[in-house]
Amino acid sequence: MTSQPLSRRRSPLVRAVLVVASVVAAWHIFASFLWIAPPSPLREVVPAGALKGYMLPLFGQSWSVFAPEPINGSYTLEVRAIVEEDGADPAETEWVDATAAEVSMAQYNLFPPRAAFAGTGVASALKSGFDDLTDDHRVIAGLNYFEADWENRMAEKMKTYGKPELVDAYLPREHMATAYATQVALAVWGDDVVRVQYRVTRQNVVPFASRNDPDATPPSPQVVETGWRGLVRNPGQSDAAFRDVFLPAYERTADK
Amino acid sequence: MTARTSRSVRIREDLAAVGVMLADLTRRGLAHVGAIIARAYRFCESWLLDSKKALYGLAVTRILLGVAAIGLLLANAGTRLYAFGSGSLWNGESLEAKSAFPQIWLFSSFHHAMSNDLLYTALYVLLLALAVAFTLGWRFKLVLPVFWVLWVSFIEANDMLGDQGDNMFRIVVFLLIFADPAARWSFDARRRAVRPRTRSADREQIGNLFHNLTLVVLTAQVSFVYVSGALYKAGGTPWSGGYAVYNPLQTDQFGTWPWLSDLATAWGPAVALATWGSILVQLAFPFLLLTRRTRIFGLAAILSFHIAIAVLMGLPWFSLAMIAVDAIFVPDGTWRGMTTGLRSAFADARRKVTDAEPAAPEEADSPETSAPTRRSRR
Repeated sequence: MTSQPLSRRRSPLVRAVLVVASVVAAWHIFASFLWIAPPSPLREVVPAGALKGYMLPLFGQSWSVFAPEPINGSYTLEVRAIVEEDGADPAETEWVDATAAEVSMAQYNLFPPRAAFAGTGVASALKSGFDDLTDDHRVIAGLNYFEADWENRMAEKMKTYGKPELVDAYLPREHMATAYATQVALAVWGDDVVRVQYRVTRQNVVPFASRNDPDATPPSPQVVETGWRGLVRNPGQSDAAFRDVFLPAYERTADK
Repeated sequence: MTARTSRSVRIREDLAAVGVMLADLTRRGLAHVGAIIARAYRFCESWLLDSKKALYGLAVTRILLGVAAIGLLLANAGTRLYAFGSGSLWNGESLEAKSAFPQIWLFSSFHHAMSNDLLYTALYVLLLALAVAFTLGWRFKLVLPVFWVLWVSFIEANDMLGDQGDNMFRIVVFLLIFADPAARWSFDARRRAVRPRTRSADREQIGNLFHNLTLVVLTAQVSFVYVSGALYKAGGTPWSGGYAVYNPLQTDQFGTWPWLSDLATAWGPAVALATWGSILVQLAFPFLLLTRRTRIFGLAAILSFHIAIAVLMGLPWFSLAMIAVDAIFVPDGTWRGMTTGLRSAFADARRKVTDAEPAAPEEADSPETSAPTRRSRR
């Protein structure tokens, strides 16, 4: 081995750096192990806040992907609107499937854009927030709120039924879903849209056992339908940037 | 009487001998253990300090991560404003960032540019240019940190559209700061070959140390990710029941090739093999790395696993980032062998082409020059 003469060449500086860097690397590896592995009593060997403080945000990660149960359903977000063309009576549109339009950008595409699953994200967030609400809250969410300041009025009303923390978790999702639905409606029906409504569906897949049965019916969908809502636009939102991508995708799927 | 005393003397002597023997053995054993420890320490010290390991593998990691970044940027270029820019502000990110990164000044550029189409596009193009420079290993020590900061700012600005591949990418590229991934197959390597760097022995050894420790940390990172992925899965009924891969492939989001999903899941035994196989390969991954034959099997298996995820589940960049890290487990000799093989195959093909065209006078004069001559990168 040539290590003998080489080791004589090592200066105190190199040896010091060797020790410090190795200790840091060992700590990093140990911390990563504790953080990445499923939570276990082994985490108790590190002071409570130390692990989190070291790992977040730089080394934040979670590898319980598709586990323990992989996702087994698709989300759909449909939008309809009330359109008031000048002079004419307000008219209610048909439902439009926004997720189908977006998903068409990913299907049979080796390199899908992330845009394809924006609506899916909205639908999933809204549904999980809605599912956490109590029955009383859900009834309120099902009512129409579209006059001025409707978001605050709906929040107040919901909170009279208790569990304000659930309401606080739900309302940002309702806001996001309404802002997204507003964009969809403006893209499809133009600037005469005055109100929107959206409907979120979770459709689970045909169970594995019946996958090759052509007559198999998919499990019944879980539907979340809230009331009519006033339009919501966040500051800086560009209707054109949304429409330029959404509308061609929608027209492609609507033709089918 | 004398017989008895002589026997007791012998017994006493025997016992003493056993004692001496035990002491001897212990002393020799300890010396042996000490020698083993000393040798192991010297081996580790020399491994860490005397040369940079896996230079080709890590160069491949750099290139593949760069390609993943370029690919992701190009795949999203046409819809960038819709997904991340002014068309996406309905998501509330511009009012209050959901990830911790945009709230840190260093990582906030894309966050602040969301509502400004021109600025956003300029940053997007800059990031793309940096990704190209990163891939090519051009001025790497400078490009890497800037690219990393801008990349994290970009990818974390819309939390909802992210996946775990983003975390892997961020962590791995950050760790590369401490290594030398541009030492091979890069513009920097070309420059170094022309003008070799002169460095003191101390600096050289410390550079080697950081590089090699990074390899150790990367190995730990991927091993933990695979093994914990398997442990998390093992608890779920669909996984133990051997049909878990069917479910996501039937959804809109993770079944982007519906007829291929149907085809791939039609035959039950194949579904079970894919389901259990992915758990087993993930769980066994670090152990498969230990010997050459099992390593070849393990890397081939994990490569197929990632290619299946890339194509069937519509997650090409996530898969490529994972494959990129696995490249460090292919020894330098193998990478060099591959390129020599490719070069001689190309030279052969080139010769066939020139032989087939006797009319070309330049080649006919000196057929030897058709073999590409390249500067050595060692």
